[in-house]
Amino acid sequence: MKIVISKDAVMSGLQMVHGVVNVRPTLPVLSNVLFQAQDEKLWMTTTDLEVTMRCAVEAKISKGGATTLPARRLLSIIRELPADNIEIEVDEKNSASISCGASFFKILGLPEDEFPAIPKYDGGTTFTVDQKVLKEMLQKTFYAASNDETRFILNGTYVSFKGNKMTLVATDGRRLALTEHEMEFPKESESEAIIPTKAVNELLRVLKDEGTVKIHMTKNQAGFEVNDVLLITKLIEGTYPNFKQVIPGQCEHRIPIEREAFLAALKRVALLTSDKASSIKLTFGKNKLKISAQSPDIGEAHETVPIKYMGKEMVVAFNPDYIMEPLRNLMTDEIFVEMTDELSPGVIKCDVPFIYVLMPMRVG
Amino acid sequence: MGMNTGSTDRTILHVDMDAFYAAVEVLDHPEYRGKPLVVGSPPDRRGVVSTCSYEARRYGIHSAMPSRTAGKLCPHAVFVTPRMGRYEAVSAQIMVIFEEFTPLVEPLSLDEAFLDVRGALRLWPDAIAIAREIKQRIRTRVGLTASVGVATNKFLAKVASDLNKPDGLTVVPVSEPERMAFLAPLPVRRIWGVGKVSEAQLAREGLHTIGQLQQLSLVELDHLFGGRAAAGAMWALVRGRDDRPVATGWEEKSISNETTFDEDCGDMDVVRQTLLELTEQVGARLRQIGKRARTVQIKVRLGDFSTRIRQCSPARPCDNDRDLLESALMLFEREGLSRPVRLIGFGVSGLVTPGGGDEPVQTVLFPELEPEQEVGRNRRLDHAVDTLRKTFGHEAIKRGNWKAET
Repeated sequence: MKIVISKDAVMSGLQMVHGVVNVRPTLPVLSNVLFQAQDEKLWMTTTDLEVTMRCAVEAKISKGGATTLPARRLLSIIRELPADNIEIEVDEKNSASISCGASFFKILGLPEDEFPAIPKYDGGTTFTVDQKVLKEMLQKTFYAASNDETRFILNGTYVSFKGNKMTLVATDGRRLALTEHEMEFPKESESEAIIPTKAVNELLRVLKDEGTVKIHMTKNQAGFEVNDVLLITKLIEGTYPNFKQVIPGQCEHRIPIEREAFLAALKRVALLTSDKASSIKLTFGKNKLKISAQSPDIGEAHETVPIKYMGKEMVVAFNPDYIMEPLRNLMTDEIFVEMTDELSPGVIKCDVPFIYVLMPMRVG
Repeated sequence: MGMNTGSTDRTILHVDMDAFYAAVEVLDHPEYRGKPLVVGSPPDRRGVVSTCSYEARRYGIHSAMPSRTAGKLCPHAVFVTPRMGRYEAVSAQIMVIFEEFTPLVEPLSLDEAFLDVRGALRLWPDAIAIAREIKQRIRTRVGLTASVGVATNKFLAKVASDLNKPDGLTVVPVSEPERMAFLAPLPVRRIWGVGKVSEAQLAREGLHTIGQLQQLSLVELDHLFGGRAAAGAMWALVRGRDDRPVATGWEEKSISNETTFDEDCGDMDVVRQTLLELTEQVGARLRQIGKRARTVQIKVRLGDFSTRIRQCSPARPCDNDRDLLESALMLFEREGLSRPVRLIGFGVSGLVTPGGGDEPVQTVLFPELEPEQEVGRNRRLDHAVDTLRKTFGHEAIKRGNWKAET
C-alpha cells in the first residue's frame, strides 16, 4: 500500500474514528485503526467489538492495500507533522513508513486479517432523518442515562419508531428525559432499540447541522450513516422499562422560568451542597422562587428568582445535578416547571416536544 | 481531647506486643521456645512472612518477606500458618487489661494500641507506673511481653515503644529541647508518613536522621515535601509535636482482602470463586462495623506482576453480599482475562454510615427496577449467614455457584 494524503484529511478521519478505541482493549489489534486504500479513498475503521466506526477520506493512491496501525500513536504523530503532504507506504510486514517534509516515522502495524470483520446488516428497516434533528434530540436526552453498570438496561438511549413518531428516552431510574419528532413511515417499519451510551457519544461527534442521517435498525444492531461515515453498534438487549407510566398527566401548576437565570442561580446555590447531603430546596412562593441549600459541615446559601406564580407555597427538594443537566442541554429561553406537591415528580418542559421527569428527594 | 503540644502531662501510652503472632504460637506450643519461628506461608509456597520470632530475626528474616526467601535464610526455622481466630482471642484479653486503666483506647491492630491514661493519674503516681503495671498484668494474665512508649503525644509514644524491644519501657522527655534531642539520632523512617519513597528521596539530599530535618526551615521542608502540604506537619513532628487525640471511635476508611494463588491460576472459575469468597469476607466486615460502601474495587495481578485495579460506584452505597458480588463480578468479567492470575483482591472504600436520620432520600421512578425490596431480603440473609459463621466458623455455610444462582 502506498498513498499520498493531506494532513487535514488524515486528521479529520482519525479524529472521527479514534474515540471508539478502548484504552485497554481486550485484543491488541483493537488498539489499531484499519486502513484500506482503494478507489482514491482511504477507509479508516475502528472497533471495540460493540461499536464499529468507519469513514473515508480522499487520498492519492499509487498502490492499493490494507493494514492496521496503532490508532492513538498515529493520531499523535500526524498531529505534529510539519507539512501538509504526507506519504504513507506500508510493506508486506505491515510496517508503515510515514514521510512528511523532513520528518520520517516508521510504525509497526498488524495484518489486516487480524482485524475483526466489519458487521453487516441483516434485514431490518431504514429511516432517514435530518442530522440536526437527531443531534438535538440526543443532546436533550442522553445525559439522563445510567452509568451504573449493574443496571445495564439503562446504560443507553432508547430509540423507537412508532405511531409516526421517533421517540428518544434516557433514564437512570431517578429522572427521565424524553423527546419526540413526528415523521412518516409504514406501520410495518415500526421498531425500537436501546443504543449504548458510548455509541451515542460517538454519534454526537459525527452529526452536523446540515444534511441527513440514515438509520438502519435490525434485531441486534443499529447503523448510522452520514455521507462517508458509518457507525454500527450492538444494541443493549432486554426490555426497556415502561416509561409512559411514569410521565405525569395533569399537573397542578405550570410555572414559566427563564432558563439561563434559573441555571445560574442553581449553580451558585449548589456550591453549598456536599456529597453527604446533596439536595437543593426549591420554595415556590408568590411570584418568587427561593433556591436554597445547606450542609451541616459547610454552611448555607440561598437565592431568589422571580417567577410567575400565584398558587400556594410549595417546598420540594431535588438532587442539584438532576435539575441543572436538562437546563444545560436545552436551548430555549424559557422553560416550564410543572409541580403538583412535595412528593410528586417535578416535570420540566419547553416549547419543543421535550419532557423531563424528576423524582424529588424526601427530606427528614 | 487534643493533647496540647506544650503539655507537661505525659499521658499517652503506645503498647506494642512483641512479635505477637509468634509469641502466641510459642505460648501454645512451648516446644517452639528458643527456636526461629515464622508465622506465615510455608517456605515451599508462595506468600509472605506475617510475623517471626526474635530468634528468626537474627537470620535476617522480617515480616512481609517472601516465605521462600525466609526458608532459604534459615532452613531449620519452624513455619506455622497464622491462626487469626486465636490471635483475636488473645488480643481481646489484652484489650480488657487496657480498659482497666482507661476507656480511651485506640487499637491500631490486634497487637498495638494507644492509651490516653490521664484519668487514671488520680490513682497512680504517673504514667510510667501505669505502663509498668500494664506490662506486668499482660505478663501474668496472658503470658506475653509488651513494649511500651510513654510520652506527651501519640507520635512520640509510638516511636518510643519501638526503641527497646522486646519487653521495653521507654519514656520520652517532656520539654521541647529534650524531645528534639531524643528524636535527633533516629532515622527519618521513624516519622509517620515517611515511607520507603520519601526515605530514598531524603537520602538523595543527604538527609538520614531526624536531627538533620530539625535543622531545616519550613521553606526548605516545603521544597523537600513540595505539593504534599506535609511540610507543616513534618516541621511539627521533628520537634516532637503532635496534637492528634487518641481516637476511640477509630473509623475505617477502607476494607480489603486479597489472595495470592500457590501457582498462577488459569482456571477463571477458580479465580471467580476466590473473588467471591474475598467479597463475602469484606462484606461481613463491612456489616460488622455498620457501614456501607460507595466504591467497590477489585485488584488483579497477573503472572508477570502487571497489576490492574478497577473500581466502580454502585447506584447507592451497599453492604449486602449480593450487591457487592454483582459489582465485583461485573468488574472482573469486564477485564476479559485469559492469562493466568497470580493474585486476586477485593476492597471497598468511601464508607458511609447508613440512615443518618435527616439525610435526604432520593425517590425513584421505577420501583420494580430498584433492588430495594431485594436488598431487605438480602440483608436478612447476610445477617443470618454472618451469625452462623460467627458461631460455627467461616466454612459452616457456603454460597453455591454464583452463575447457577443468577
